[in-house]
Amino acid sequence: MRSKFEWLFIIITSVITILFFIVIGNMFLIPTYEGFIKALFSQQMIFAIGLTLSTSVVSAILVILCCIPMAYTLSRYEFRLKWLFKIILDLPMAFPEIVIGIALLMFLGNYGISRWLGFFGVNLVFNSAAIVIAQFFVALPYAIKMLYSTFNYVDSRYEFVSRSLGYSESDTFFNVTLPLAKQGLFATSIITLARCIGTFAAVLFVGGGILMKTETLSIAMYLNLSTGDIDMAITAGILLVIISFVTIAVMEKYVKEQYV
Amino acid sequence: MFLEIKDLCVDLGQFKLENINLSIEKGEYLILIGPTGSGKSVLLETIIGFYKENSGEILLNGEKINNILPENRHIGIVYQDHVLFPNMNVYENIIYGLKRNKELSEQEMDEKVKEIAKILEIDHILTRDVTTLSGGESQRTALARSLIVEPDLVLMDEPFSALDVSTQNKLISIIKKIGKEKNTTFLHVTHNFNDIWNLADKVGVMKNGSLHQIGSVFNVFSKPANDFVADFVGIQNVFEGKIKKNNQNHLVNVNINDNITLVSSDVEVCSHLEDYTNVLVTIRPENIIFSNESMNSSAKNILKGTVIDVTYSGPIMGITVDVDGIVFKGLLTRSSFQSLDIQVDKDIYIIIKSLNVHIMDRYSSFKLEKS
Ligand SMILES: Nc1ncnc2c1ncn2[C@@H]1O[C@H](COP(=O)(O)OP(=O)(O)OP(=O)(O)O)[C@@H](O)[C@H]1O
Ligand SMILES: [Mg+2]
Repeated sequence: MRSKFEWLFIIITSVITILFFIVIGNMFLIPTYEGFIKALFSQQMIFAIGLTLSTSVVSAILVILCCIPMAYTLSRYEFRLKWLFKIILDLPMAFPEIVIGIALLMFLGNYGISRWLGFFGVNLVFNSAAIVIAQFFVALPYAIKMLYSTFNYVDSRYEFVSRSLGYSESDTFFNVTLPLAKQGLFATSIITLARCIGTFAAVLFVGGGILMKTETLSIAMYLNLSTGDIDMAITAGILLVIISFVTIAVMEKYVKEQYV
Repeated sequence: MFLEIKDLCVDLGQFKLENINLSIEKGEYLILIGPTGSGKSVLLETIIGFYKENSGEILLNGEKINNILPENRHIGIVYQDHVLFPNMNVYENIIYGLKRNKELSEQEMDEKVKEIAKILEIDHILTRDVTTLSGGESQRTALARSLIVEPDLVLMDEPFSALDVSTQNKLISIIKKIGKEKNTTFLHVTHNFNDIWNLADKVGVMKNGSLHQIGSVFNVFSKPANDFVADFVGIQNVFEGKIKKNNQNHLVNVNINDNITLVSSDVEVCSHLEDYTNVLVTIRPENIIFSNESMNSSAKNILKGTVIDVTYSGPIMGITVDVDGIVFKGLLTRSSFQSLDIQVDKDIYIIIKSLNVHIMDRYSSFKLEKS
C-alpha cells in the first residue's frame, strides 16, 4: 500500500517528467522523414557536426588537463585567498553564458590583447581556436566543481598510507588518488564533453557565428532558425538531443550514483 | 631512545596538541589510551608527518625528523578501517610498498609477500578483491602491507576495534610474535584495556590534547598521576611478580613479594616463560571476595590484611586492603558491606580464585632483558 504522501510525490514527478518528454519528443515529429534526411546529409550539417565534435573534444581534453590540478589544489591544499579563488571559479556558473562570451570577445579582440597577438600573427576570434576558447571557459567551472567533490570524496588517508610506504606525493597521486577518482573523472569528462558540445552564446560571440566557418550545431540551429529553414534548425536540435542522451546514458551505465 | 618527542605542539585551529613529551625504546610497545577526541589520532598522524607541528621536536633514532617528508620517515601506519587500496587486490596491496625498492627482484618480492601472508594467515586470499574481504581479513592485509617494508616504527590506530574477540586475540598473538622476531617498535592507540594487558610495555593516557601520564603499565595503573588518569583507567589491581610453575596441578605461583604468593591458572600464558621471570598480574576489583573468616573454600588465594580505606559511590563501596605492604582494591554492595561490618583499620580476609588472577607475559620478557 502506498501512502497518500507517496502517491502525491510520484504523481508530481510523473506529470513533470512526461511534460519534459512531450516537449522534447514533439521536436522529433516536426520535420518530415525526407526533410530530416536531406538536412542531415547536407554539406552544412556535416560541417557543423564535424566542427562541433572536433572543437569539443579538444576543449574537453584541455578542460580535464587543467581541472585535475586545480580541483586537487582546492580540495587538498590550504593557502591565502583560497576562498576568493573558489568564488572566481564559480562565478561563470552563476551568470549567463552570454556574459562570458562578451567578456572573452572584448579580451581577445580589439579592446584587449588582439594587437599583441596580431604581432605574433595569432588571431583568436572568429575562428575554430576561438570556439575552443569559448567552450573551455564555459565548461571549466563545472568540471572543477565536479572533480573537486570527487577529490574530497577520496579519503586522504589512502594517500597517507601510500606515502608512509615510501611513495612521493606525485607517485601517490598517480598510483592512488587518480585511480580512486576514476569514476568521478570519467563522469566529469563526459559532462564536460556534453557541455562543450552544447555551448551556444559564448561560441556565437567569440566564434562569430559564421556560416560554414565557425558554425557548430547550436549555431547551425540558430542561423537556420533566423533564415526560416525549419528542417535544418530542428535537425540540428535533434542531433544535440541525441548526443546528450547518449552521453548521459553512458554515464548512468558506468558511474555509480555517489560520484556524480 | 628510539622515538623521542619533545614539547610537541600542533595547532589545528579547533584543536591543539599541547606539550607532548614521550619516548619509546627500540622494540618497545607503547599503547595510548584516552577519551574520544583527545588527540590520539592527530598525534599519530603528526608523527607520521601529515600534520605539521608548530613547535617541538620528533626524533627517530636520534635524528630529528620534523622536516623529513613522510615518505622518508620509515614509519608504517595501520588504521581501524584498514584503508586498503580498493583499486588493487590483496596481493597488490601487500606488495605495494616493496615495489618501490628497486633492489629487490620480482621473485624476492613475491617470496616476501608469501612469507608475510603465511604469518598473517591470508595466503589463501591473495588474489581476492579487497572489497569482498571480512573485517579480520582486511585488517590482516593492512598489517601485512605495512609490516612487509619492515618499518622502524609501526603506528596503529585502533587496529582491532572492529574485530570480534577471537580474531582480536589471534592478531594480538601474531603481532607479539612479529614484534619479538623483528624487534619492531609499536605505538598503538586503543580503547580496549585487553590490548594493554596483552601487548603493552608502556601506557600513555591522553586527554584534551595533552598526555597526562606515560609510564610502565604497572605504574600507570597502580600509581595514576592525577584524578583524571585514576578515573579513566578505573580501579585495577596490578602487581609485579615472579612466576614459579607448578606442573602437577596446572597452576602457576606468582611471588608478589617475600610474603605474598598468588596462585593463577593462566598456565598457557606462562608456557614459554622460565621460572622466576618477571610478570605483571592483574585482578579485577569485582573478583575480590571479602570475608571475616579464613573460609575453607576451593579458592586458592586467601590473604589476610587490614582495611585502609573505604570509598562510597552510590550503592557500590570501594574497599582498599593492605596485605603485607601490597594494596588490593575490591568492590562490595552496600548491604554486604554492612553485614560484614567493614571498618577502617579492621582486619579482613580477601579471597581470589586462581581463575581470576591474570598473568601478562609480554611486559616481563622486555623488562628482564633490559634490567
Ligand atoms: N584536520 C583537522 N583539523 C582540525 N581539527 C581536527 C582535525 N583532525 C582532527 N581534529 C580534531 O582534533 C580532535 C582530536 O581528534 P582525534 O581524531 O585525534 O581524536 P582521538 O583521540 O583519536 O579520538 P577517537 O578515540 O574518537 O579516535 C577532535 O576534536 C577532532 O575533531
Ligand atoms: Mg582516533
